[in-house]
Amino acid sequence: MLTPDELVGLLAAVAKGDQGAFERLYAATRAKLYGLVLRILRRTDLADEVMQDVYLKIWRSAGEFDPHLATPITWMVAIARNRALDLVRKKSETSIEDEPAALEAQSEAANPLERHETTEQLRRLLVCLDALETERRELVLLAYFGGFSREQLAAKFAAPVNTVKTWLRRSLARVRECLGS
Amino acid sequence: MTLEEEPDDRDGQAAEYVLGTLDAEERRRAQALIASDSHFADRVRAWERRLGELSAMIVSVEPPPQIWERIKAALVASPPSAEPGQVAPVRPAGERTEIAALRRRMRRWRRATAAVTAIAAAFAGIVVVRELAPEMLPAQLRPNVRVQVVEVTKTVEVPVPSPRPAQYVAVLQRDAASPAFLLTFDLDNRVMTVRTVGAEQQRGKSYELWIIATKDPTPRSLGVIGTEEFSIRRQLARYDAATINSATYAVSIEPVGGSPTGLPTGPVVYTGKLIQTTPPGFGSQSP
Repeated sequence: MLTPDELVGLLAAVAKGDQGAFERLYAATRAKLYGLVLRILRRTDLADEVMQDVYLKIWRSAGEFDPHLATPITWMVAIARNRALDLVRKKSETSIEDEPAALEAQSEAANPLERHETTEQLRRLLVCLDALETERRELVLLAYFGGFSREQLAAKFAAPVNTVKTWLRRSLARVRECLGS
Repeated sequence: MTLEEEPDDRDGQAAEYVLGTLDAEERRRAQALIASDSHFADRVRAWERRLGELSAMIVSVEPPPQIWERIKAALVASPPSAEPGQVAPVRPAGERTEIAALRRRMRRWRRATAAVTAIAAAFAGIVVVRELAPEMLPAQLRPNVRVQVVEVTKTVEVPVPSPRPAQYVAVLQRDAASPAFLLTFDLDNRVMTVRTVGAEQQRGKSYELWIIATKDPTPRSLGVIGTEEFSIRRQLARYDAATINSATYAVSIEPVGGSPTGLPTGPVVYTGKLIQTTPPGFGSQSP
């Protein structure tokens, strides 16, 4: 992975139509974004499709990237997660066969502070997540990494959907307060 | 759930949008707000930045190399200044809708269905084999070996989904540079899935998918192809597996909603045949 500054430079070049820079950007970020969308979509065919959409969107909107508002990775991750979540939510409207049974044993439920490779911002976020009750933290992490909907979370935690919504909003509000932003 | 979010919980709405727990309708509403309310858009961006830090914990998975090939092909037609949503233009073969042309085409199909599409099918075959069974190709045509690199330095368990159980695939296209429709046929479940890969939706027209069996060369409609992936099950029920596997698949351009006659009336723009894709090792990509 390149440094954030190098990625900022690549995005600026991509915004000017530099295909070589775009190829380097793809090489530096593809495995991260593929891991992300695959985890949410759980199907390689859908993940492949979303990857194409995501990188074409990055190619077209690189000029909108503002390093004061986002890091290159959080900006690209947001594009990828949005596309994957749009697809997975649209699909679940018509089918409920994609129950995440295979994801029952979630290791994110373990203490996230045991991870390494942390930036200062990630470290602060993890401290704030760690301050949540175990179950609430698990709820947030399952939603973030696994793309769980409120309904799926409600099923997993045997709680009404509205309760899950309340838990999510309170947990997120506490994370925001804890981060002090 | 309330129809409108309480105004004082706009930040909760933005947070849940970014986290991903809103349902499809709520996501659409949030996206409309992002477009119309800069204050809400700022909240969303702030949450994307806050939660985006978690992406450092995502386990990387190397994507298949053909994804980059497809992205690169689409770039040519979509410079950064292009309108969002623009796709590579795929022009159909000449618009010939005259009755005479139709009759000629129908006679041809009835006489020697496979021959009509032999070249296109062979082309599609090479593409599919390159993707899925490189060991079947002569050495000089083989792509680089597909390597699945999975980082093992982190302790997060990522359940890599097993590859879809599709035993058969057909790419309906005119040449290697213009992928159009991808058919996958799952023999176990007797279901065919149709995906639009690079075909442009024609204004005021529909793409219709046809099956032309070797034993009964009259084209039978499998349905109109929309923008979304769709599955065909019912229309296939009348065919046995051997017929499905040996048939030719064709896409014609029809009036909106499909052919009014039950037979192709517009130009046939894409054809292909199913190819078995169960190469050894394809299913063993788990870390």
